[in-house]
Amino acid sequence: MARILIVDDEAHQRLLYRELLEDEGHLVLEAADGAMALEIVRRETPDLVILDINMPGPDGLQTLRRLHDLNPRLAVILNSAYAAYKDQFVSWLADAYVTKSSRTDDMIATVHAVLAQRGNNRVAQSGRPHA
Amino acid sequence: MNHREWNESTLVMLLAGGQGERLYPLTKRRAKPAVPFAGLYRIVDFTLSNCLNSGLRRVFVLTQHKSLSLDRHLRVAWSILQPDMGEFIQSVPPQLSLVSRWYAGTADAVFQNLDLLEEERARYTLIVSGDHIYRMDYREMLQFHADRDADLTVACTEVSVDEATRMGVIQVDGEAHIRGFAEKPTHPATLPNRAGRCLASMGVYVFKTEALVRSLIADAKSESTHDFGHDVIPSMLSSARRLCAFDVIERLPPTQRYWQDVGTLDSYFETNMDLLGANPPFNLFDPGWAVRTHIGHPPPALLRNADGYEARAVNCIVSPGCMLSGAQVFNSVLSPGVQIDAGATIESCILMPNVRVGAGATLRRSIVDENVVIPPGMQLGCDVDADRSRYTVTKSGVVVVGEGTLLGGSSW
Repeated sequence: MARILIVDDEAHQRLLYRELLEDEGHLVLEAADGAMALEIVRRETPDLVILDINMPGPDGLQTLRRLHDLNPRLAVILNSAYAAYKDQFVSWLADAYVTKSSRTDDMIATVHAVLAQRGNNRVAQSGRPHA
Repeated sequence: MNHREWNESTLVMLLAGGQGERLYPLTKRRAKPAVPFAGLYRIVDFTLSNCLNSGLRRVFVLTQHKSLSLDRHLRVAWSILQPDMGEFIQSVPPQLSLVSRWYAGTADAVFQNLDLLEEERARYTLIVSGDHIYRMDYREMLQFHADRDADLTVACTEVSVDEATRMGVIQVDGEAHIRGFAEKPTHPATLPNRAGRCLASMGVYVFKTEALVRSLIADAKSESTHDFGHDVIPSMLSSARRLCAFDVIERLPPTQRYWQDVGTLDSYFETNMDLLGANPPFNLFDPGWAVRTHIGHPPPALLRNADGYEARAVNCIVSPGCMLSGAQVFNSVLSPGVQIDAGATIESCILMPNVRVGAGATLRRSIVDENVVIPPGMQLGCDVDADRSRYTVTKSGVVVVGEGTLLGGSSW
């Protein structure tokens, strides 16, 4: 079981992911914006953050910078309806990028892959993320 | 590629943020790249001139510690490009836009400026350092890099085993691919056919920009000192990246084989002295390779006899604005505005801008920083043990008097 923080300004999107991830046995936390996400990360130290990009206030890419500053090794999956952000260098700070769609398999598979990678890294004690 | 195409496809990041502790006291009030060199210049002028002479006109200078003097020099001497034409030499202090701390290492300095790499989106990024004296047409290295489709190309040169213990040592195969890299190794790997010689990194790197960004992010997320030599290059070597070595001895003409790191007081002193020989390894007089700087508008240098003493300067760099009144100067570098009075003798010294030497003083193997006043009759470098109790004295016995030092009788 992992502690996963979902950051999205759309309540229905958070609910969708919450149900999927809880079914998978994970503990789910929620934040509706970047500022709240930072607060929760400081307080709850999640294993993984699923981070929307287009949000009011600090957007997902800005929040990603702050998360990196707080903990460079925190696992993050960027999640946006727009694929174009993927080309921005700053988005490469995230472990993965999933484009929002009606299919949720991609997100679940990516969550598994990122958590497995992080687990492997911890076992290997290399600390080096997937390039 | 032609001139214009190399410029369009290459961004230069010049690292100028180090503390320069090993050059103290010359770095007491200025960043290392801003330390005067060879009379007229600042150290950074050599790397920036390399850029300009290579047709590379998109340069970010990443500054940090004590950058005021460097910023001032860049503004006065290097505001020569046309930003509206997409060319610039831009000084960049830490922006704290990715992390809320100062640069932790050379790689971190570039990582923290990810936004600049994004803004320019150049195909290649050339990373150079502001504390080396050398002459290099970077286009030769860029072409080499492009021909091999390398992710990273490291410029390297031959050094002795002793020097190699302080540098990044490279092992290559027959096709110039890097097969081993060790930063400051205790027992450096020597070249197969050159006993006692090693191939060492010059701290000049060409990256495919995307490979650079991927490698910097991986480094930023790992336990690391965030240094190119210590961390990024070894990590790239253990991944599937293609790393090549550009051996300047093998691939560049003789005029471009000289390279010196002036990071220590002794190497700074020796590199200045190198310029005074009959065939200096770095030719400042080559009209095809101008080294730019700015020194204001001093009057010409003047040597005149005074008080019965003849003025002489032998094997010297004498900058504009110097006035030697009955003084004898041998094997020395005099920066603009130096004044030396009758009967004084200067041997193997570096006198920085506006140093005044009083009548009858004797200076040997000394570096005297800007504006210091040497009183009449004073001796410096004549009794190194005595000097050691008052000034910085290097391992090889060079006496260094820092800026702002008041010497006995300075009210003169």
